[in-house]
Amino acid sequence: MKTGKELKPGTVIRIDNDPWLVQKAEFTKSGRNSAIMKTKLKNLLTGYKTETVYSADDKLDDVILDRKEATLSFISGDTYTFMDTTDYTMYELNAEDIESVLPFVEEGMTDVCEAVFFEDRLVSVELPTTIVRQVDYTEGSARGDTSGKVMKPAKLKNGTELSVADFIEIGDWIEIDTREGGSYKGRAKV
Amino acid sequence: MKPTWDIFCCVVDNYGDIGVTWRLARQLVAEHDVAVRLWVDELAAFVRLCPEADAQARQQWQQGVEVCLWPADWQPTAVPDVVIGAFGCHLPAAYVQAMQDRTVPAVWLNLEYLSAEGWVEGCHGLPSPQANGLRKVFFFPGFTPGTGGLLREATLLARRKAFEDDPQARQAFLRGLGVRVHEGARLISLFAYENPGLASWLDVLAADTRPSHLLVPEGRILGDVQAWLGESGLGVGSVTQRGALTVQILPFVSQDDYDRLLWCCEFNAVRGEDSFVRAQWAGRPLLWHIYVQEEYAHWEKLEAFLDHYTQGLSAPAAAALVALWRAWNMDRDMGQAWRELLAHWPELSAHAERWCAAQAAQPDLATALVQFCRNSL
Repeated sequence: MKTGKELKPGTVIRIDNDPWLVQKAEFTKSGRNSAIMKTKLKNLLTGYKTETVYSADDKLDDVILDRKEATLSFISGDTYTFMDTTDYTMYELNAEDIESVLPFVEEGMTDVCEAVFFEDRLVSVELPTTIVRQVDYTEGSARGDTSGKVMKPAKLKNGTELSVADFIEIGDWIEIDTREGGSYKGRAKV
Repeated sequence: MKPTWDIFCCVVDNYGDIGVTWRLARQLVAEHDVAVRLWVDELAAFVRLCPEADAQARQQWQQGVEVCLWPADWQPTAVPDVVIGAFGCHLPAAYVQAMQDRTVPAVWLNLEYLSAEGWVEGCHGLPSPQANGLRKVFFFPGFTPGTGGLLREATLLARRKAFEDDPQARQAFLRGLGVRVHEGARLISLFAYENPGLASWLDVLAADTRPSHLLVPEGRILGDVQAWLGESGLGVGSVTQRGALTVQILPFVSQDDYDRLLWCCEFNAVRGEDSFVRAQWAGRPLLWHIYVQEEYAHWEKLEAFLDHYTQGLSAPAAAALVALWRAWNMDRDMGQAWRELLAHWPELSAHAERWCAAQAAQPDLATALVQFCRNSL
């Protein structure tokens, strides 16, 4: 069983005997409202997609999935091809299937990902918790801050924007925490 | 045959949960020809809102609503057409099983707390398919067309207008509460949680050139009122004067009388959810004391409402209103904020009426629920 709060992209839950892949999960807790998880689900049998809301403590049947290590081979349009690192099998996913990690997927990345399989079918890919990416553009340091507390916007090669420490410069490599949408962790030692 | 509805209310604290569900139940019965059973786990809280009710009765009829004690030892009962779990309360397991066993599935709604935050529109009306095959739907009240709207009885604004147009009715109502207002005095109602900022507000009211008469229904703010007055043991009917300020303690009144109280006052300080909404229907400037949450989660909710509410106000008037609400909710000095608010009084008064009218132009929550259920059944 999984609770509503534990749902995350890549989780597969069983509803009315059908397996549903969580493609997106947004947690909200505000005021007196109960904590809720808004999700985008895809029926793995029919391909039908829907949006749902779960209370954080709703109990759901999760489906045990197979996981294998895989790396990104190439991107062609909206199709992302991953390769099983042990037997070199190629698997394709479209952009929507990996919507939650898409901001951090880019050509040439070497991260060893977790490919998630349902009945021998690749349904999703999860990135490592920490990844390293190069900053493609950012403004110069505004205040000369070296503490890492002052933040500014930066852009990665694939166009993803995130906040980084003020001292980060163009070309720097940074560590990103991929959980909960992705956030800057620090300068990477490359 | 009338559609049958069950509404489940778990009284967490205060009167917000029971206030909203009792109001909804009454409106469904009165305006939508629905048979409503209201399950309440703490009847004592219900009796405060409905004094004629019996706090010991496991089942009773009040204003057309079947009010039942929601007992810890749940007994099997027939599941109706529509089931509302208010504010995320957990229904009894045996009842949920009975919902599963029903031939025609009941419409199961989770009625959430009111919020003006943007994410509400994105979640309102979304299904929540459960592991047991039941399909729950999240229903969010709100201030925009993409939400379920606000509780508002069909005749509410007409009743308010009739009351306002009848000075004798106003006088008689206030007299019934033992309130005698001096000519020219500003009548203010105060319903709030404990608030350290109260003293600074009362200081400035007492020092004002215009007299104010503060009406305080019994409740959690009473301790702060007593502390400021330097008197203990103030009870219902107590009238105390300090400078230009008269402070009067009122009994906890029924929902209908509370509406009348709001309509009598020039300014209403309210709290939580139910009185907050009713003050908006009163069309007067108001001050909201939001229910405090851990990690200041309530601040976003407060700011989201202010973002909506201040639209259409001049920048200085909006700034004055925001400053007062923030001061009240963040334990800051109220004196300066109140003085600045008074400088924009005519604009804020007109704005409160416009806001009321704009909200009234949207479908009300009970109607939205009924329409949703008709379409789902």
